[in-house]
Amino acid sequence: MIAIENLVKQYGRFTAVDGVSLEVPPGEIHGFLGPNGAGKTTTLRMIAGLLKPTGGRVLVNGHDIATEPELAKQSLGFIPDRPFIYEKLTGGEFLRFHGGLYGLGEPEIGDRVREMLELFELSRWEHELVESFSHGMKQRLVMCAAFLHRPRAVVVDEPMVGLDPRGARLIKDVFRRMAERGVAILMSTHTLEVAQEMCDRISIILKGQIIARGTVPEIRAMGDGHDDHLTAVFLKLTGGSGLQEIDEVVG
Amino acid sequence: MNVRAFPYLLLPHLWASRNRARRRERGDFARGVLFGGIALIVFAALVQGSYWLTGHLLDYEELGDYLLRIGLSWLFLTFLSFLAFSGIVTALSTFFLADDLRLLVASPVATRRLFHARFFRTVVQASWMVVIFVVPILIGIGWARCAGPRFYLTAVATVVPFAVIPVAAGTVVTLLLVNTFPARRARDILMLMGLLFAASLVVVLRFIRPEQLLRVESLPDLTDFFATLQSPITPLLPSFWAGETLFASLAGGADVTHAAALWTTALASVVLVGAANERWYFSGYSRSQEAPKARFTHFRALDSVARALPLSTVRRQLLVKDLKIFLRDVSQWSQLLLLMALVLLYLYNFSVLDLQRIPYMSGYIKNVYAFVNLGMAGFVMATVAVRFVFPAVSSEGSAFWIIRTSPLSLRDFLWSKFWTGLVPVLALTEMLTVAANQFLGIDPLLKAMSAIAIVLMSFALVGLATGLGARYPRFGADPSQAAGSYGGVAFMVQAVLFIIVIIALVGWPSSVYLLHQMRRAPFTPAQQLLMPVSLLAAVGVSLFVWLASMRSGVRALEGMG
Repeated sequence: MIAIENLVKQYGRFTAVDGVSLEVPPGEIHGFLGPNGAGKTTTLRMIAGLLKPTGGRVLVNGHDIATEPELAKQSLGFIPDRPFIYEKLTGGEFLRFHGGLYGLGEPEIGDRVREMLELFELSRWEHELVESFSHGMKQRLVMCAAFLHRPRAVVVDEPMVGLDPRGARLIKDVFRRMAERGVAILMSTHTLEVAQEMCDRISIILKGQIIARGTVPEIRAMGDGHDDHLTAVFLKLTGGSGLQEIDEVVG
Repeated sequence: MNVRAFPYLLLPHLWASRNRARRRERGDFARGVLFGGIALIVFAALVQGSYWLTGHLLDYEELGDYLLRIGLSWLFLTFLSFLAFSGIVTALSTFFLADDLRLLVASPVATRRLFHARFFRTVVQASWMVVIFVVPILIGIGWARCAGPRFYLTAVATVVPFAVIPVAAGTVVTLLLVNTFPARRARDILMLMGLLFAASLVVVLRFIRPEQLLRVESLPDLTDFFATLQSPITPLLPSFWAGETLFASLAGGADVTHAAALWTTALASVVLVGAANERWYFSGYSRSQEAPKARFTHFRALDSVARALPLSTVRRQLLVKDLKIFLRDVSQWSQLLLLMALVLLYLYNFSVLDLQRIPYMSGYIKNVYAFVNLGMAGFVMATVAVRFVFPAVSSEGSAFWIIRTSPLSLRDFLWSKFWTGLVPVLALTEMLTVAANQFLGIDPLLKAMSAIAIVLMSFALVGLATGLGARYPRFGADPSQAAGSYGGVAFMVQAVLFIIVIIALVGWPSSVYLLHQMRRAPFTPAQQLLMPVSLLAAVGVSLFVWLASMRSGVRALEGMG
């Protein structure tokens, strides 16, 4: 379970995240939507323990990230938008190192690495240097790492960027399976179709504040009711370029 | 949970080094031979130098011993300040700016374990250069004094804690800096601090006027001399403890007190820095993740000047872009400032030399100095070119697609890089040569020859650097590291050969002319023929290097996959 209470992050006088509260129970895929610069990544980085909140609290599976950081991180899988991977390690070496960081024992790591590489269709690349991987392969490798230690909560920032349709399908299936097994997943995305297809509930953040929350039908109902897609509701709630403006620019 | 000891966190670097060694890149062997050869020569020279000096000191018995003892403390004192500064800069990178921290901080690794792994790395990274210098010096001293294995063991046991103490102090300073300023801003501040540190060292050395020491009438009496040597060596500094420990071991004894002082201070500093780190690391790291508020100069004057230049829009935009990126990156231009300080020092040396009072500084030898000066200017030119012109194409980095997809020809792009590099390089080295020759008071014809030679060399070396930079680009790497790449090394080797050839081609006719001037002897027919041929060959070689390098660079860019 992921729970954040009244989370605030200020950079000088600028408030990037302004009193965000959120709860993702076990087994739920929660979509975190918002326009660029709304505060999504900052929120996710605070949950992952990479940024220190100015105020508020983050609980991961009951552990406060500020007071019990190791226990909280132990049960969390984090997939950042721009992940770091050691380019001069092979895929297998990177995963083994990652497993060790999360406390997996030596005999268990080997089996688990092979299992994950197979799941994400990377077995052939186990002994190749990461620097030779395509963007999509690196993305899948990071997913392998995030699920390697069997986390009970996962925070993922833009999971579908750079994936081909097959890769995207695979990720969606993995996320669903994980959720069925009780993993809480908080996922930020700009792809509204993905959110609509996968998420049990959605929160929309704008200027650091949650402006809407609910299931997909509930969010859709916030629109004018004529459009089945989330796009219209999203634009209505967050403000977007009107067609007239686009016409002016395009000429 | 299976908690692993901190060395586990060093594994990726070891594995990466192993993988790099297994998969050799093109030019690795040549680079290894070149750098290895240079390192061996320097190592042997240091061993020989310290052996020679220690051997001579042996002739003075007690006075020699005393000087060796002070010398050891001075040696370590010099390295102490270097290690402290290096510790600050390295800690900033290893603790706060390294990319892999995003992975490690998000993982359930305790702050203390992360600290130990990072501190170990910081000590190694900050001190390897000092260790490389200290080792041959101590080998030379031990060899001259016929020291046994105990001396060398003591040396290892002394150098390790000696390196730890200043690096720990540097790490604390970094921790304070990062908790006060965002890390990226702190790096800019450090760059400038380092620059001021180096420049002030140069200026102080210059104002001490070491040339005065060579005048017998200006030497102080012996007591004053030793008092001056002793004054900065305080018994409270680790450099003094290290010097004393090693001197005692050299004399066959053991200075347990100072060795214990070194080790206890080193261990205590690790414990204290570890505790400070546990308390303030995360807040500092979190601050370092915050993008620094854009604080930059718009350089509107630059835009106005560029508009006034007779350039096409495309070339003007490329020039403005390159200059703005360069000027906004402190780490780039701060190195250029340091070079300028050294150049000014070089010129100042010529200005204070009272050549008329040196009897052997005859007209001929004085004029030969013009060519030494030309060689020096050539090396400055090659250094600036490899550091700033060679990475010009690589510095486009991941933004190179903008150039490749734009309707700008790659030929125009590379020539724009050439002209942007040529103007500052030519101005700097021409100023250096003309001013130094003026201070030396050399023959007007040689002054003109040197000035022309610099123009030729600038075109050729900047062309060579631009061309090779295009042939061996490293788009993913830090541009400042491109100088050490295969292409950078190839450039330096070719540049040195070119400088030697040009000096020979310009120097020979000039020396013949000078001898003719002094002896009033007529030129032989062969000389009359070969002198202009030699000068024309210098022009031809320069033009060939310039144009062939640029053409090869353009072809390489056009052939890029």
